[in-house]
Amino acid sequence: MKPAAFDYLAPRTVAEALDALAAGAQVLAGGQSLLLEMHLQRVHPDLVADINRIPGLDALTVSDGTLTVGALVRHRAFASPGAVPGPLGDLFGRAVGYIAHPPIRTRGTMAGSLAWAHPASEWCALAVALDAVVELRSTRGTREVPAGEYFRGPFQTAREPDELLTAVRYPLLAPDTGVAFTEHRRTGFSFAQVAVGAALTTRDGVITEARIGLANCADRPLRAHAAERALVGAEVSSWAFAAAGETAAEQDAAPVPEPYADVDYRRQVIAVLVARTLREAVPV
Amino acid sequence: MKITLSVNDDAYPLDVEPRRVLADALRDDCGLTGTHLGCEQGVCGACTVLVDGEAVRSCLMLAVQCDGVPIRTVEGLAGPGGEPHPLQRAFSAERGLQCGFCTPGFLMLAAGALERDPALGEEEVAALVGSNLCRCTGYEPIRRAITRAARDHQKGQDGRHLSA
Amino acid sequence: MVDRWLRREDERLLTGRGRFVADLRVPGCLDAVFVRSEVAHGTLREADCSAAREVPGVAGAWSAADLPDLPPMPDAPGVEGREWPALVKDRVRYPGEALAVVLGDDRYRAEDGAARVRVRVDPLPAVVTAEEAAGDEVRLFEGRSNVALRGEAGRPIGDEVWERAAVVVESRYRQQLLMPSPMECRTILCVPEGERLTVWSGHQAPHRLRHDLAGLLDRPEESIRVVVPDTGGAFGSKSAVFPEFIAVAWLAVRLGRPVRWVEDRRESLLVATRGRGQDQQVRLAADADGRLLAYELTVEADVGAYPHLGVAFPMQTAWMATGPYTTPEVHATVRSVLTNTMITYPYRGAGRPEATSPLERTMDVLAKRLDLDPADLRRRNLIPPDRFPYRTPTGRTYDSGDHPAALDLALRTLGYHGWRAEQARRRADPAALPVGIGLSCYVERSGGERGSVHDYVGVEAGEDGTVVARCGAASSGQSHATVFPALVAETLGVEPARVRLIEGDTDELPGGVGSFGSRSAQIDGAGLQHAATLLIEEARERAARMWDLPIEETAWSDGVVHPVRGTAAMGLSELVKRTGPLRIDERYEADMAFPFGAHAAVVEVDPDLGTVRVLQIVAVDDCGRALDPAVVRGQQFGSIVQGLGQALYEGVPFGDDGVPLLGYGLLDYLLPTYAEIPPIDLEETRTPTPRTPLGAKGAGESGCIGTPPAIVNAVADALRLDHPERLQMPLSPDVVWRAAA
Repeated sequence: MKPAAFDYLAPRTVAEALDALAAGAQVLAGGQSLLLEMHLQRVHPDLVADINRIPGLDALTVSDGTLTVGALVRHRAFASPGAVPGPLGDLFGRAVGYIAHPPIRTRGTMAGSLAWAHPASEWCALAVALDAVVELRSTRGTREVPAGEYFRGPFQTAREPDELLTAVRYPLLAPDTGVAFTEHRRTGFSFAQVAVGAALTTRDGVITEARIGLANCADRPLRAHAAERALVGAEVSSWAFAAAGETAAEQDAAPVPEPYADVDYRRQVIAVLVARTLREAVPV
Repeated sequence: MKITLSVNDDAYPLDVEPRRVLADALRDDCGLTGTHLGCEQGVCGACTVLVDGEAVRSCLMLAVQCDGVPIRTVEGLAGPGGEPHPLQRAFSAERGLQCGFCTPGFLMLAAGALERDPALGEEEVAALVGSNLCRCTGYEPIRRAITRAARDHQKGQDGRHLSA
Repeated sequence: MVDRWLRREDERLLTGRGRFVADLRVPGCLDAVFVRSEVAHGTLREADCSAAREVPGVAGAWSAADLPDLPPMPDAPGVEGREWPALVKDRVRYPGEALAVVLGDDRYRAEDGAARVRVRVDPLPAVVTAEEAAGDEVRLFEGRSNVALRGEAGRPIGDEVWERAAVVVESRYRQQLLMPSPMECRTILCVPEGERLTVWSGHQAPHRLRHDLAGLLDRPEESIRVVVPDTGGAFGSKSAVFPEFIAVAWLAVRLGRPVRWVEDRRESLLVATRGRGQDQQVRLAADADGRLLAYELTVEADVGAYPHLGVAFPMQTAWMATGPYTTPEVHATVRSVLTNTMITYPYRGAGRPEATSPLERTMDVLAKRLDLDPADLRRRNLIPPDRFPYRTPTGRTYDSGDHPAALDLALRTLGYHGWRAEQARRRADPAALPVGIGLSCYVERSGGERGSVHDYVGVEAGEDGTVVARCGAASSGQSHATVFPALVAETLGVEPARVRLIEGDTDELPGGVGSFGSRSAQIDGAGLQHAATLLIEEARERAARMWDLPIEETAWSDGVVHPVRGTAAMGLSELVKRTGPLRIDERYEADMAFPFGAHAAVVEVDPDLGTVRVLQIVAVDDCGRALDPAVVRGQQFGSIVQGLGQALYEGVPFGDDGVPLLGYGLLDYLLPTYAEIPPIDLEETRTPTPRTPLGAKGAGESGCIGTPPAIVNAVADALRLDHPERLQMPLSPDVVWRAAA
C-alpha cells in the first residue's frame, strides 16, 4: 500500500502554488485524506504541491462580522475556546470533536475537508448551513462560490483542478443564536452515519431563524431548507422539532444506502437526530 | 530529493523519493524500526511519532515534508542516560502492552500530549487512548498507564530531588 | 537494583527494540507484492507479467503459468482433490486470491511492478453464504459438491421427546464472519544460505510451518530453520502455511535471495483467514419446571473457497454443543460448505463461541417462555460440581468445574437484583431508556484434541548456575518469556532471574507443536513443571551417587541438593561442573481440559436510534490454576473486548458481486476503540484440572466465548423481545432499531 511515484513541489508563495496547479498539481495541505487515497491508489497525481510552507495561509481572522479560515488552519484550532468568537465558535467547537481523533486533527485542515468534500464531512455540512463562501484562486483569477453551490456530489465540487481553495468565509452568528451539533456513528473510528449541526434564534418563544446542516444524508452535504422553513415562525416545542426532523428526513435528505444503514434507517436517524439537535440548540 | 531528517536529535541526511512516507523513511532509511506500520491508512496509530512536538500518523506524512523538522520516535523516548520515560515505566507497571506492536504509537501519542500538558485530565486521556487501536489489551490498562505516567511525571517534576 | 519492568518482554517492546519480522534488516532482501483478484469468483483469462518485469527495481514477476513447478497448498486429510494453488491457475475462488507475485528492491518498487501486471478475470456468479452455496447451482470445483464435510455429535433425538416436552423453543442464529485482526498482519522472511533456509515468521506454530515448508519444497526438515521473533498478535490467524508463504519460500530458494512478504492491512482484510461463519438452527426442549430435556443444533458453516484448513472446525461447535447443562439428549449436525471467500479458520474461541451463543440465547428465550428468571433456569440445569468428570451426550468428558459458583459470583458482582430493580423502575418511566440484563454460562475446551495435546519441553542447568527452559510454544503477546521461567524457577526453588526461556526457534528445540487452542499454559506449562521435577530427580540421583547415598537420603530445596542428614550441599552449577551436562528433554502429553465461567452484561438501548450502550460487563472465568494472575486478567480483558466486537461492531458485509465491502480497511471493519469500552469487572473461581499436576487450564479465549451472548441477551431483555431472532450479530444500530420497532 504505497503511493505511486510523483513529483513534489513545496511552493513558498500562493503564486508559485497556483503555477503548480496550472501545471496539473494536486494540492497537499493536511494530507490526512489525500495520503490515504494515494496509499489505496485511488488517487495518483503526477505532481504534488505541498502548500504547508506558504506563510499566511494558516490565518484565522475575524473582521466586519466575517470569519476567514485560511487554507492551512488545522481542525485542532477550532477546539481552542475563543478561537472563533460567539456562537459560531461554540458550534465549531462542538463539531470538531467528531472529526477523527487528535493526531488527525493536528494535521488535517478545515479547507482541506471542503476541498475533499466527503459526504460525511462535518465541516462541509456546517459550511452549507452557515452560508459559507469558498474562495478559489487560480492563475486565471479569484472567485468566490457560496457553499450552497459549491458541493456537486461525493468528492465533487465547483473547484476547477487548477484552483486553490485559499480560504473559507463564514458570517458570524448573532450572539443570541443557539447552536448544537450531534453525530450518530458506530464506533469512535467510524464515519458519521448521520451528523446534524443546527443554529437557532428565537424571539419570545418563536423561532425567527433556523439553520440545519446535514452530513451523510445525501451524496453531498445538505442544508435542510424545508425543515428550516417549517420552523421559522413556529413556537419552540418538541412537537415542532419532531416535525422538522420528519421534514428533514423525508423532504430534504436523499440518503444513500450503505452497509449497516439502508435508506429507511438513515431517514429514521435523520428525523431523530435533527429533532434532538434542535432541542439542544434552543438559545437559553 | 535530498533531505535531512532530524530524529531524536540525530541528523540523517537522506536521498528519498517524494512518495516515501515518513514511517518508511524512519524504519528503512534511518533504521529506526520501533515505529510500526499497522494499517497505512492513518487509522490504527501504531506509526504515531512526534513531528515538531505534535503526535502525527507517520504513514500520512511524506518524508520530504519533514525536512529539517525535529522528529521524535520511541527510540528517543528514554532520557539521555537511558533512564526510562515515566510512560515506559507506567506501561509496564499497568500491563499496558501484550504483543507490543501498537505500543510505540500509544507511547508517542501520550508523550506529545504530556509534554504539552503535564496535567492531563481524564477526558484528554480518554481522547488519546481513543485515537489508536490495540487488539490485545482492551485499552483500559493503557488508560491506566497514561494516567499513572501523568501523575508520576508531575511528581517527578515537583520532587525530582526526592526520587532515588 | 529493583527490576522496573514487570515482564521480560517489556523493556525491548517499550524502547523500540522489539524485533518483528518487518524490522529485520537483511541485505539484498526483496519485498514481495501479490497481484490480487478483484472478483470473487471467475475464470482467469490472462495474467501477463511482462510489463512488470521492465519496471525499475523489479527483480521479477510471475504468474502461475510462469511457475509450473510451484507447489500448491498441502492437502488436508479427508478433503483431497480440491487443489488450492499458491497462485491462481485457471479459476479464482475468492476475492483477493493471488494471481501473480512481484518481487522488488522494496515494497514501493514491487507495487510499481504489480500495477503493471495485466490481468483479466471473467466473472462467474459468486456464492458467499452457506445457503446459497449448498444448492450446488454454482460449483466452486467442477464435478464436486460445495458441501465439503458432514459430521455429527450425539445421537438423533426421537420425536416423542419434543412431543412430550412442556416447551420447545426453536430459533435461528448467524455467527458472522470476523477478522481476527492482529495489529501486525501476517509476515514471512525467507533467507537461503547454502543448503539452509532460514524462515522468519510471526507465527504460532514454527515446527508445523517447518514441516509444511519442507514437504512443499521437497527438502529435509533439518535444512529449514523457522524462527519466530516478536509477533504482533495472532488470535489463531497465524498458525498455518498460506499460499503467499509458499510463493515467497519457493522464490527465495529458486533465486537464492532473501524474500520477504509483509501483509498489509488492505490485503489482510481481503485474504486473511476469518473466524466463525455459521448459520445455526436450534431446538431446545424443557419440562414445565424448566429442566432441559433435549437440545438440537444444526450448523451450516460457510468455510470459504478451499476446504483445506477450516473445514472440520465446525465439529468443535458440535462437540461442545452440550454446554454447561445436564441436558440428557443433545444432537448436533454440521455441514461445511465451500463459499467464495477466503477460508474460515480458527479465531480466538474457534468453535466454542459458536456453540455457546446459540445455546445461551435460546436459554433466555426459554426462560421467558416459562416465565422463569434466566438465572434460575440456568441454575436448575447447570452440571453440579459432584458430577465431574462429566460425560456429555456430544462426546466430551469435562474434567472439573463448579458452574453454580461461577454463576452466583457473576450475579453478586453485577448486583443482579439491583439492576432488575433499576430495570423495573425504568419500565415504569416512559421517558427512561430501557436497560437489559443478559447472562451467559459457558464451557470451553482447551489444550487441543486427542493426538495433539502434547508438546516438547525441556529444562537444562548450566555451569554458570543459570537454567534454560525450552518449549514448543510460541508467544504472540502472552508473556511466555516471563511466565514460564517463573514457573520453572518456582519448581526448582531458584530466583526467576536465573531462568530464561527459549522457544520459537526450530534449531534450538528438538520438536514442538505451538501455541493455539489455549494450550500453552496447560500443556507447555505443565510440561515445564514436569521437566523441572525430572531435573530435580536427576540432580538427586547424581548427588546420591557422588555421596554414595541411597537417593531417598538426598533432598532438594531452594535450588540445592543436599543429604537428608548432614551439611553437604551442592547447587546446580557445581553439580554440572562435577557431573557433566544436566538437561531434561521430554515430550509431555496431557489431556484436554474444560475452562468455564459465567458472564453478565447490562445494556441501555436507545430504541429510536438503535444504539446500544453497554453499562457493565462482569466476567467470572475459571482456568484452574493461573500461572500469573495479572497476565491471565490481561488475556481475559482483551478477550472480552474482542467479544464485545463480535456482539456489536465487527462483520464482513458483501456486495452483490461477492466482494467484501471493506475498501476503507479499519474504517469499515470496526474494531472496538477505547470509546466503546464499558466498565468491566473481572472475577475468577479456581477449579484446577485434575489432568495435570499443575492444574492450569487454558485462559484467553473466555471473553470471545462468554461475552457476546451476554450482550445480545441483554439487548433482547431491554427490548422485551419474545423471540429475538431479528437480533443477529453484529447488533449494529440499524439491526437493533428494526428489532425494537
